[in-house]
Amino acid sequence: MSQRVAGIDRTLAALADPHRRHVVELLRERPHRAGELAQRTGLALPAMSRHMRQLRECGLVVESHPKFDARVRIYALDPKPMAELKRWLEETEALWSTQLAAFKRHAERVS
Amino acid sequence: MTPQVLVSVRLKASPARAFEIFTRDVALWWTPNALFRFTPRSPGTLAFEPHEGGRFTETLANGTVFEIGRIRVWEPGERLVFGSGQETEVEVTFETVGAETRVTVVHRGWDSVPDEHVARHGFPNAIFLRRHGEWWQVLLARLREHGP
Repeated sequence: MSQRVAGIDRTLAALADPHRRHVVELLRERPHRAGELAQRTGLALPAMSRHMRQLRECGLVVESHPKFDARVRIYALDPKPMAELKRWLEETEALWSTQLAAFKRHAERVS
Repeated sequence: MTPQVLVSVRLKASPARAFEIFTRDVALWWTPNALFRFTPRSPGTLAFEPHEGGRFTETLANGTVFEIGRIRVWEPGERLVFGSGQETEVEVTFETVGAETRVTVVHRGWDSVPDEHVARHGFPNAIFLRRHGEWWQVLLARLREHGP
């Protein structure tokens, strides 16, 4: 559980930046080359690589190289961290529904 | 970022009374949950120190006190914001709806808040937050459609 929470914290931190969210959105369409991503987001390549490193470190994005040219980097989305985050959101929603119902019962009893 | 959860409830009490009960009686109404724990050795007894900058704590049976987070906004009868772990924040608002009070909990990744002072001084950037909230909703809807 705590390991999962740490993973979710990392995912949240990675998605805290609007540029990185934009990249995630683009990668949802299809995998992109590094150059294409820089062009579509309007980011300079050094800034782009910094963001991509953070997205790779939290596991949201995976990097690969085409056979014909190992220098070309292709980025794609790994759905697992998103699925974890989605599960966290669902569990958190269920938790608060339960807690607020308990709060309402208590508050109306003592008011 | 605004991956956020929003849940609300309406109850028969004034906002001031609801705020008081929510904070003072948290140990009485909170229902321990196996899936969601504030600290590794939960469940313990929850408590809010009743002022801004105060601690939200969980005290275990052996007397150990864990700080879950700090209270960022303490506005009795209106709004309560507290940290709940490294990257998340909980905002609770109390509004009058007819003869009742609507209590709304928003649990969000607090890195999302674009400016540290926003939580303390209201939400001037509400449009920004809403836009990203919508972004998140769209993303979730797509995830639901296409599976993870």
